[in-house]
Amino acid sequence: MTGENDSMKMAGGERMAHRLRHLMHLKDYEKPDTARMTKNKHNIMRRVRTAKNNQRRSVAEWIEGNLPWFFAEPRYGIAVLFVVFAGLQYWGVSSQRQASGKMGIYTSGSEIAAYSPDASYATNRVAYPQVPDNFQLFPEQQGGSDVKFVGRRDVGK
Amino acid sequence: MASGKYNDPAKVQDAAPLEDEGPPDAELVLKSQQGDVHAFEALVERYHGKIYGLTYNMTSNREDAEDLTQEVFVKAFEALPRFKGNSSFYTWLYRIAVNKTINYRKKRNRKRALSLDQFDQDIKTDEVYHDLTTKGSPLRNMSLSELQIKLNEALQNLSEKHRTVVVMHDMQGIPHDEIAKVVGASVGTVRSRLFYARRQMQAELSEFMK
Repeated sequence: MTGENDSMKMAGGERMAHRLRHLMHLKDYEKPDTARMTKNKHNIMRRVRTAKNNQRRSVAEWIEGNLPWFFAEPRYGIAVLFVVFAGLQYWGVSSQRQASGKMGIYTSGSEIAAYSPDASYATNRVAYPQVPDNFQLFPEQQGGSDVKFVGRRDVGK
Repeated sequence: MASGKYNDPAKVQDAAPLEDEGPPDAELVLKSQQGDVHAFEALVERYHGKIYGLTYNMTSNREDAEDLTQEVFVKAFEALPRFKGNSSFYTWLYRIAVNKTINYRKKRNRKRALSLDQFDQDIKTDEVYHDLTTKGSPLRNMSLSELQIKLNEALQNLSEKHRTVVVMHDMQGIPHDEIAKVVGASVGTVRSRLFYARRQMQAELSEFMK
């Protein structure tokens, strides 16, 4: 009896599944408008062409394209990064040392005193030309002047 | 675009079902990776209908489906340099489509009104339709548009993951193992989701199940 019930249930379930498949099959007849689909494809290709023109390769993509081993063998990539880092560190340290050796601000007062005066030439002094003693700087007033010296006036007496 | 990423056609695991005509996907993908837009256009032509069908049945809204189809192909083109050919192009494209559609719906966070494609008039000559509309069937007194709305509403009441497997398997005829690759689940999980999705659909469409 139970077996009969089970088989009936199974038959009912199969019938429902069958009916559902049929209903879903009807959805295959929902067809998009051909003109809209054509327009949609054109829009896609227009956007694709725009994307292609605007495409800028990132550094990661450049490395991926030209140095594929960098990603294929991560340990090599890490090793290279380490070498680059160490190189930059060394370069940074040596340039700092070079800078501290050449800059005058690190030189002590006694060292400055040791320099000969010839060596310490003042660059901010204006070098005026040497003018002869009898050189007339302003031209002499000719008779046509309206201003004449008439005497001194004492103010405050 | 980077070139030569897809230069090992032997890595293509399975042939896409639409490769019968024209060059194989692997060749078109390789050319596309080398910057050949015409090759990509051939891929668009080949898979547009399938991707539209997937997004349409996932959303039951043709405007959304059109937008999503565009997004999927543009995204695929942009991501093509990173495509290594570990799966077929077809599977990879479907994965993009499914993810895009699910994210799109999450962003919307509410149900969109149905906007449905018209039924083809050929439906009236279909044997199944004929059987369903014979005397005694609940479909007999129902218009085609009413039936269409009921079907789509039942589909939209499913959860995203259940709808995905139903659409891919029952409407697009994709086998379980391919669906499993697309959704990133085991074949058993796909079968289980399909079982529960069908059961829910049967409950939703109980008036037609008698």
